[in-house]
Amino acid sequence: MSFNYDELSHTEIFDLLRQWRENNERRSEDVLYFSEVIVEDPLHKLGSEKYVVMEQVIYAALDCHYYTIAKLWIMMLSEEFPGSLRVLRYKAACLEAEEKYEEAMEVLDSIIKADETNSAARKRRVAILKAQGLIQEAIKELVDYLKKFMSDMEAWQELSELYLQVQEYSKAAFCAEELILHQPHNHLMHQRLADIRYTMGGVDNLELAKSYYCQALKLNPDNMRALLGLFLVTNTLLSHYKSSGSAKRKEAFKLSQWAQSEATKIQRKAQPPPTIPALTNMMLSLAVTD
Amino acid sequence: MGEVSLETSAYAKLILHAAKYPHCAVNGVLLADGTKIRSGAKNQDLDIVDTVPLFHHSHYLSPMAEIALTQIETIAQADNRVIAGYYAACENFRDNTVEKCPGQKIAEKIVEHFPSAVFIVIDNKKFVQHLETPAIKLHKYTEGKWKPKDANKVLFQTPYVLETVSHLLQRGVQKDLIDFDNYLDDLSQDWTNLGIEKLIASINASNSIDCKEKAY
Repeated sequence: MSFNYDELSHTEIFDLLRQWRENNERRSEDVLYFSEVIVEDPLHKLGSEKYVVMEQVIYAALDCHYYTIAKLWIMMLSEEFPGSLRVLRYKAACLEAEEKYEEAMEVLDSIIKADETNSAARKRRVAILKAQGLIQEAIKELVDYLKKFMSDMEAWQELSELYLQVQEYSKAAFCAEELILHQPHNHLMHQRLADIRYTMGGVDNLELAKSYYCQALKLNPDNMRALLGLFLVTNTLLSHYKSSGSAKRKEAFKLSQWAQSEATKIQRKAQPPPTIPALTNMMLSLAVTD
Repeated sequence: MGEVSLETSAYAKLILHAAKYPHCAVNGVLLADGTKIRSGAKNQDLDIVDTVPLFHHSHYLSPMAEIALTQIETIAQADNRVIAGYYAACENFRDNTVEKCPGQKIAEKIVEHFPSAVFIVIDNKKFVQHLETPAIKLHKYTEGKWKPKDANKVLFQTPYVLETVSHLLQRGVQKDLIDFDNYLDDLSQDWTNLGIEKLIASINASNSIDCKEKAY
């Protein structure tokens, strides 16, 4: 961080906090540092943004295990909103952070009972199972959740990762496909599915991986992971297609050459530090020569 | 025989990597000094001189791991170093065993090429800002399994290693650590972390001055 926190005005602090909130940056220690500056007067002048800032401070405090600070801020909020389910959720989060999982589950269940559509509380249940290391149970809970809330992208992504963790690659691929349906223009989703297909292996999966890497690169030519993935996948395919005349082999060869030259171009443009070996050398050493 | 010693910067990088992503599982590889290695011999002494932090997400997917390992092999060969082990930290605070770590397949591949390889598991429970113990567990591969080595036998090359690394943690140096994931996001980053190495070298230099003063 290049600037000095002590010299920031209150407006600047709130701007910074807003920026971190919007970008989902994990800056808990810094948020807590600011919370001491703003707790008194400035916060009350803020208007309706005040409550999201307070929420931000609570989660930051829990992240750093300052339970007393978190409880203090939760109390400030519950005085203003007695009976609010959102405030109740902070209490559950606090119990969760203190590893009182059963009590946290009870609070979450009471939230779900009062409001069946409360998706955040349901997802917290999955998180608690995961924290306890019960991956299979977490998967089951998340599958149930997704039956009710099918358009929750975040949940599909988490499910995909959980399946990868237990090496259920085809199920993880299914979740990744679901993500592509939700966000067909997000290159990362295509790259992710391609990564999974490549990991699964076999000519059919490699062909699929090739197509999805290509689509990812079409959407974002600067996606380095997709470019390197395309290089790997086409190289593996080349060794599978032995007869040099086939059209598939020719296509793979062309793509492999293209990926090589693109990667070299991008790396040169980025001006990497001298300690880093050039990607080209690695690619040349791996490349199948025709 | 079979002693494993760690250079300060090698140890610092793996600790800083885990500190940079406290909410993620992390992994990386260990590089040993190749001049002291006899090829093929089992259970030899290792001098871990460097570590390369690899990933903090997508641990269960292979393509980028393949790229990273080929790249690392290139620089390792150029500096006469060998890939001599693997380290990982689990996502879950309570999981501190080899079985729960990501990338065991990578570790097994390393053993195939280098039978004396070590597997370091970062001990989440002992990981604090003022390190009193090294907070790592060493494992050796014997009879197809990773068996824990005596934890008290973590050897460091220089004195004050724990103090130095604790100092780095308190200064927030982990924010400057670059792993291979960071590199793939931005190719101008340096995953060899030369900057941190230089910082440690300067701290070591001033430490050794202290030692001399005490000797008088």
